[in-house]
Amino acid sequence: MRLIVDELRVALPLIFHGDPYLLSTLWFTVQVAAISTAAACAIGVPLGLALGLGRFRGRRTLHWLANAGLAVPPVLVGLWLFLLLTPGSVLGGLGLLATRRVVFIAQAVLAVPYVVALTAAAIQGLGGGLLSQARALGAGRRQVSLLALREARVGVIAAVIAALGATLSEVGAIIIVGGNVYGYNQTLASGALYEAQAARYADAVALGIVLSVLILVLLGTLGAVQHRGRGIRLRFRWTG
Amino acid sequence: MGYLWDQLRAALPLIIHGNSYILSVTAVTLRVAVVSTACALAIGLPIGLAIGLGRFRGRRALQILANASLALPPVLVGIGVLLLLLPEGAFGSLRIEFTLQAVYVAQTILALPYIVALTPAAIQGLPPGLVNQARALGAGRVQLALLALREARIGVLAAVIAAVGSTLSEVAAVIIVGGNIQNHDQTLASAIVSQVDAFNNVPYALAIGIVLLALILVLIGLLTVLQQRAGGLHLRFRAG
Repeated sequence: MRLIVDELRVALPLIFHGDPYLLSTLWFTVQVAAISTAAACAIGVPLGLALGLGRFRGRRTLHWLANAGLAVPPVLVGLWLFLLLTPGSVLGGLGLLATRRVVFIAQAVLAVPYVVALTAAAIQGLGGGLLSQARALGAGRRQVSLLALREARVGVIAAVIAALGATLSEVGAIIIVGGNVYGYNQTLASGALYEAQAARYADAVALGIVLSVLILVLLGTLGAVQHRGRGIRLRFRWTG
Repeated sequence: MGYLWDQLRAALPLIIHGNSYILSVTAVTLRVAVVSTACALAIGLPIGLAIGLGRFRGRRALQILANASLALPPVLVGIGVLLLLLPEGAFGSLRIEFTLQAVYVAQTILALPYIVALTPAAIQGLPPGLVNQARALGAGRVQLALLALREARIGVLAAVIAAVGSTLSEVAAVIIVGGNIQNHDQTLASAIVSQVDAFNNVPYALAIGIVLLALILVLIGLLTVLQQRAGGLHLRFRAG
């Protein structure tokens, strides 16, 4: 344990005195989490609604795809993005590799399956009669969607929290497309990975502590939301 | 599309002709998946059964803890394990830092929450009378556990698949505790990172990515079959 205590003794002052690298990494991480999740919701909530409400052909396949998307390793998503964005490739002209913007894009892509799959699951978990009744009473598509969203809000919020968590802790994709450039496009998680590889363990621990605080806040929010929504239990895992 | 096509044309022969590097990385990955999942089962199944079947104080708290541990960022697990295994750390005398054994340890810890959290969930999904009836008929603790395992086997299997999926695609912890050493303790996922970031060797990264995708697809296929047999059961996994 001595080593851990020693590293903590160096790490804690970094946090309390607001080390500039730590603060700028924290700020970038919060930006990535907020913007990527917002983008993922803009794409994912309509898709999740269509999956949960729609009665079209190929719906089961789409649902399967959304769930399977949750199982795709972030490293593979990073590799595919890299192949598309690398100079000479389809989107190579955009010059996005190793920028800050590409981190936002990669995390948004990773967050979309959470939003789609969990929104659809939340809507399918609603009482069977509710939506049919609304339809029978003449509700249009928009009205049914809004009703479903309002009734399934606990599940949808849980989906958003899961997506936020993913953007906070995934590293596999962003280190591939972003290059994990020190002090430029690092999140707390990829920064901690970088510092650990550089054997600067105190810095890694400091970043790790800040990351755990953010994760705990999210878990607490999820717990509170689920407690109020009783019955609905969604689990999530986010990884790097 | 020319670029992508060229890379694919360079990558496919590596797989078809069984490039020795790719074969060895695949072998290491499978070993890590089997060993870590087996260790996680040995540790996690008794705990999961106790949480699912037991009637002791603090059971709910344990379950919340198990669910929360699913959200543990792998980067943090990696840093924690490495600090324990470094020569000055608590288990430094084992001298397994930056070896395959260290990767086993980290991946076991990351796979454990799946087993511990999803096993009780599967047991709690059983018809409520079943376990109570067995108890009333005088089943002992071991008999009860075996009965619950047999009845909830699909859920437990899904937990195992989720655990395997996480060991296949996790990179952060593997890189930190193993050092991502080529031909030694690299997994498919961590090899992609080093092939892209360190060597810019796209055909190799792509070939390894195809192998990893194939393994993940097999797992998703298994999970789909299980879920169809289980009817309503929906388990997802995400790993990275």
